[in-house]
Amino acid sequence: MSISWKGNWMSVKKKKILYVQTSGTDTPERAYAPFILATTAAMMNVDATVYFVIKGITLVKKGEAEKIKIGSFPSLREVMDQAIKAGVKLAVCEQSCGLMGIPRGDFTKEAQIVGAATLNDLALSADAVLCF
Amino acid sequence: MKVKPDRTLDCVGLYCPEPVFKTRLELDELKVGEVLEVLADDPAAESDIRSLVKNLEQELVDVTKEGSAVRILIRKIR
Repeated sequence: MSISWKGNWMSVKKKKILYVQTSGTDTPERAYAPFILATTAAMMNVDATVYFVIKGITLVKKGEAEKIKIGSFPSLREVMDQAIKAGVKLAVCEQSCGLMGIPRGDFTKEAQIVGAATLNDLALSADAVLCF
Repeated sequence: MKVKPDRTLDCVGLYCPEPVFKTRLELDELKVGEVLEVLADDPAAESDIRSLVKNLEQELVDVTKEGSAVRILIRKIR
């Protein structure tokens, strides 16, 4: 389904949820939840960010989400695109790129490369943090 | 007094999180003051849509159960 984002009719300050994804392409059953929860959060007018760290960064490596499809679920790429359309922000841990040997330019274009201070700051400023 | 919906969204047969997504998108299309009727049979839908409406600060007008389905009326108030 397509989402057209018109979420600008709220007066109150938005709450924030940070989803930390540490699981990667080797455990595809763990890949979907942060995207689906973050998209739902955006629908609830909650500011949602998914931070990919350690093996989690493999999910946003170019071409990988297209390969993941489980059961009756759509491909991970479709679920990721739905999240992006809804306004979910994607952040990739810079240090994990070196750890996993993935070049910094090799991620889906919507994912921003950020550092450790950003993760700490996102966690401190969020109203809730969920880890996967 | 019976509230007459301005729009109906049929989510019967859809499962989490689709009813929430569709309800949100439909609410975006409503004018302030209009009422949306949502029909759903996902067991999670009632609780999920209640949470959605609360977070969007809209008005939950009525919730009625009809067998395994639920009918939810939401008024767009902002």
